Amino acid sequence: MRVPGPPSCHCATCADEGVPMRVLGVAAGAGLYDCAGEDGETTTVDMTLVEPVAPDERVLVHAGVALVKLGAEP
Amino acid sequence: MRFVDEFRDAELGRVVAGEILAAVDPQRHYKLMEVCGGHTHAIYKYGIDDLLPANVELVHGPGCPVCVIPMGRVDDGIAIAHEPGVIFTCFGDMLRVPGSDGTLLDAKAQGADVRMVYSPLDALRIARDQPERQVVFFAIGFETTAPSTALTLMRAKAEGVENFSVVCNHVTIVPPLRALLESPDLRLEGFIGPGHVSTVVGARPFQFIPDQYGKPVVISGFEPLDVLQSALMLLRQLGEGRCEVENQYARVVPFDGNAAALRVMGEVFALRPHFEWRGLGFISQSGLRLSDDYADFDAERRFSAPGVRVADPKACQCGEVLKGVIKPWECKVFGTACTPERPIGTCMVSSEGACAAYYNFGRFARGERAAV
Repeated sequence: MRVPGPPSCHCATCADEGVPMRVLGVAAGAGLYDCAGEDGETTTVDMTLVEPVAPDERVLVHAGVALVKLGAEP
Repeated sequence: MRFVDEFRDAELGRVVAGEILAAVDPQRHYKLMEVCGGHTHAIYKYGIDDLLPANVELVHGPGCPVCVIPMGRVDDGIAIAHEPGVIFTCFGDMLRVPGSDGTLLDAKAQGADVRMVYSPLDALRIARDQPERQVVFFAIGFETTAPSTALTLMRAKAEGVENFSVVCNHVTIVPPLRALLESPDLRLEGFIGPGHVSTVVGARPFQFIPDQYGKPVVISGFEPLDVLQSALMLLRQLGEGRCEVENQYARVVPFDGNAAALRVMGEVFALRPHFEWRGLGFISQSGLRLSDDYADFDAERRFSAPGVRVADPKACQCGEVLKGVIKPWECKVFGTACTPERPIGTCMVSSEGACAAYYNFGRFARGERAAV
């Protein structure tokens, strides 16, 4: 496979923008949790669609909302 | 990066490419359509098409939500953005989509308060922080993104946030696929199905494709090995005379989707009788509007928008590209009048659009191939 040359950029709208994140803990607001991405950056994510969740669980996040729980890391 | 690097292993990629070569009938030509713009992006970014035999052709489908927004809807958004006191919010790629007289970025340059957000929840936060302003979110996307808009509207309603509204351009994936399958100028052997849309809708909605049209579907992830393996699974189905919906992306996609997401979408949205898709025309029951329970949050009711249909520029062949009838570089204006810096067609705007993906990554590969 070719090593990509031009910079990578995701379209936030497109369905490919599914970001694996790890649950850190409850945030202020119903259904909201603080999560960390693979790069360590933290953000608040709406977990309404996958609750209940627990710290250290992994979820796939799209446009600020967790769509599915992911299994354990390989 | 764990869970990612494993699916970018070049050596494994070569192994799968070898299996693909063994699976194809050299006397047969295979046309496979990847529905999702994310797959198109991955194909060009990683040179996946270079690993496929010459008789396996990848056709790029209509699954980039930015690319299928018609100009009239962009004009409506721009008109609302120019309303006094409005803060107009949208995803980043929408900012550069051309309407009939400029883009949302142009509107911003002219003084409109247009802001990029990552999530509709960010737009709601702006509305909470600035109750004296009207905050509008320009909602686009398939079933992956629609739950985010739905949850945001449910929060806005529960909290009584009255200065928040949505221009709803959400679309659904099945009707355009059916329209494509009915198109007389389209010849396809099978579909690489959308990965993250399927986390919401599941695999079941695609069953009509094998049942009614006799074409196999493989729901695929977005890493290069995902796409290669999905192509192999399709080719094996074709070789063995099978015709099924298979799920290559089972590590993420549950067969039944996400019932909670479907439930919130059902509460907040209703089907429009028809919706216009750029390049594909009007497709019945393919677009979503806000349901009557959420009509107070409908920006199209709150503000006056032109609501005028605008024909695509004549030189632009986005429609043929979206239907897979021509390749991006076969468009008359590709790479000359139409570039990512100055797009004419929407397929050149979004990084997931077939033309932009090819422009950014593919010319290198074609040059290499030509030199061999």
